[in-house]
Amino acid sequence: MTKKEETTKTTYQLPIGPIHPALKEPVMFEFEIDGERIVDADVILGDIHRAIEWAGMRRNPIQIIYLAERICGICSISHPIAFIRAVENACDIGSPERAEYLRVIQAELERICSHMLWAGVAAHEIGFDSVLFLTWQMREKALDLTEYLTGNRITKGVMTIGGIRRDITKDQIPKINETLNYFKDNFEKLRHVFLDDKTFQLRSQGVGILTKEDALKLCAVGPTTRASGIKKDVRVDQPYFAYGDLDIDYITPDILTGEVNGDVYDRIIVRLLEVKQSIGLIEQCIDKMPEGDLVSEPKIPKLLAQIKKTKAEGIGRHEAPRGECVHYVKFNGDSEHPYTWKVRASTYANILPWIPMLKGEQIADIPIVAASTDPCMSCTNRVAIVDNDNHKKYELDKEQLHQLSVEKTRRLMR
Amino acid sequence: MAKGLPKSFKKALWVYHCNSGSCNGCDIEIIAALCPRYDVERFGIKLVGSPRHADVLLITGPVTRQMEKRVKRIYDQMPDPKAVICVGNCGNTGDVFYESYNLVGPVNNVIPVDVHAIGCPPRPEAIINAVAKAWVKLETLEAKK
Amino acid sequence: MTNTKKEQLDAKGLVKYFKDEFKTKILKAEIRTRTAGSKKNEFVEIWMKIDKSIFKKMMKHLCDYQFPHLAVVSGNDLGKNIELIYHFSVNFGERFKEISLNIAVDVPKTKCEIETICDLIPGALITEREKQEMLGVKIIGIPDDRRLFLPKDFPEDVYPWRKDKQPGLEKLIRNLHEGVKK
Repeated sequence: MTKKEETTKTTYQLPIGPIHPALKEPVMFEFEIDGERIVDADVILGDIHRAIEWAGMRRNPIQIIYLAERICGICSISHPIAFIRAVENACDIGSPERAEYLRVIQAELERICSHMLWAGVAAHEIGFDSVLFLTWQMREKALDLTEYLTGNRITKGVMTIGGIRRDITKDQIPKINETLNYFKDNFEKLRHVFLDDKTFQLRSQGVGILTKEDALKLCAVGPTTRASGIKKDVRVDQPYFAYGDLDIDYITPDILTGEVNGDVYDRIIVRLLEVKQSIGLIEQCIDKMPEGDLVSEPKIPKLLAQIKKTKAEGIGRHEAPRGECVHYVKFNGDSEHPYTWKVRASTYANILPWIPMLKGEQIADIPIVAASTDPCMSCTNRVAIVDNDNHKKYELDKEQLHQLSVEKTRRLMR
Repeated sequence: MAKGLPKSFKKALWVYHCNSGSCNGCDIEIIAALCPRYDVERFGIKLVGSPRHADVLLITGPVTRQMEKRVKRIYDQMPDPKAVICVGNCGNTGDVFYESYNLVGPVNNVIPVDVHAIGCPPRPEAIINAVAKAWVKLETLEAKK
Repeated sequence: MTNTKKEQLDAKGLVKYFKDEFKTKILKAEIRTRTAGSKKNEFVEIWMKIDKSIFKKMMKHLCDYQFPHLAVVSGNDLGKNIELIYHFSVNFGERFKEISLNIAVDVPKTKCEIETICDLIPGALITEREKQEMLGVKIIGIPDDRRLFLPKDFPEDVYPWRKDKQPGLEKLIRNLHEGVKK
């Protein structure tokens, strides 16, 4: 009599990671599974802890900009922006109006790159490699523009305290317009592929649901929280730079579908609409951008001397592609090194929401659900399935896990 | 094209990618090299999901304390002959992460590196060039047999 | 979570809301206004410092007003004390209305502990775990007290963000450029 009970109660443990294709940083998951269903999930972080904040407390703010840029290669504008805002906020340094518009252009361009990258990863996770290639081909266009405007593809090095280091001249504008038009022309194609495709719908609708209440409670940020129907976007809530001058509104999935489900599909909608929004914002910026200086204080030693004298603290917030990014700095008035520097990256806040999203889902859904909050990609993974009953250990590598996901797509297509 | 690369190859090159603590900048450039613009798959270069299938190890990042053992294990799992490419400045020299309490890099300290791809991050062209150089090593080893 | 929509308060109103309740236990309350853009749009931050004795009540009082978004908890080593700063944002969901609310509290190093707020805001778990290992602030009643970022074999009494001399930490510091083979 007890035997039957035991078999129904047995769950498996399934660790994923520490290197996982869908994660910003190598992270390790531990799942408790019952057959195909996930009963509980746990996240183990820290495999990529490089002690950046600790190192930052030994460098001066100008050096930190470049360190902040290398917190994440995909948010290489967002982290410097948040840091610069924190320093400007603490030391009361202003920046010229033109620089504030240029910063918005750079930030929005990064958002386009990042969301296109994500769209490709999401398609790859469910076995649509042709869509991965399609989106990454389109992404190259955005990268070309980034390179044209900043001189680099990934780490741009354009931000500085009190302004921006590179102007956008009149003769550069046709190239910007050309790229934006390319995205506008192809937007419908992209929308059709992601939102109308039956397989996409089957794999994403009703999967990885994050309720509005959970999103609020677990302090989710960015498209993840907006897809659950919470209107939270620093660009709108507390406009900084030129965002207050521009026409911008919250993007929630009900704009398109009239309802909020908080599933993976809704997160796709939010990101696609944000690409369109970013294009609009860049266009508005180019229209409205005033003439003027690029930096408020071109002499860096003078700037550093001012920072050295300051005894203050400040926070800088920026809506990065993945959500709000917060930096805190404190200067003690005796050194140009910040006394404290704290970074809160967007994914940091989107880790806990994974747990309710993954509970009750199937193993084959792990890649797409984990990817749906837009952590990042690295390319390998090892999964070991530990059978509690026999203490046998099976190993599933990234490819097999991916294969499971692909097979599920194929099953649904039939 | 890298010097010494023959006109025809003895085998297609399978690559395994390991992130030992990088910022993802190099990682996305590696994927960009695989995507339509650069499309290295036309040369037979393919990213594989297991080190046991790979000829070349692409390693990014300055190797965190937690990843040290795993990097060694991945290296040991690869069949001989093998080549290791360290992609990005931070894996090669430490770069901006030159001082830290949780890093054990550069990669050279952990596993032997054959090709250093420099840049933060290196462009996809530079990564492809590095892979071609690794190819030369493997082809030469093959020829000596 | 009873999110009965109370009337939205502006920065002054919010400070008054807390001062009425806790009086002198609020040691400092500063409203900071900065502008951005060519229209000089204002944004507001509140910086508060409170006494440790009212910490939990303060958090509850804040949640009674509105369920806040906790961005992160940051910490400063002030020598004898460790200052924890809870960065919240309230009034989001409407343009120009959001206020950043930063509540600081001092914790003495001799009795380095503070109550958890995970029961009020479950999303605080990750940042509280980080404070435990990085600053050595013991969080009382934390649902999960494992390490977060530091490796398992990291020495127990070494806290990287503290400013005092820590021989244990110095032993671990590596200069990567020295390992480059020439």
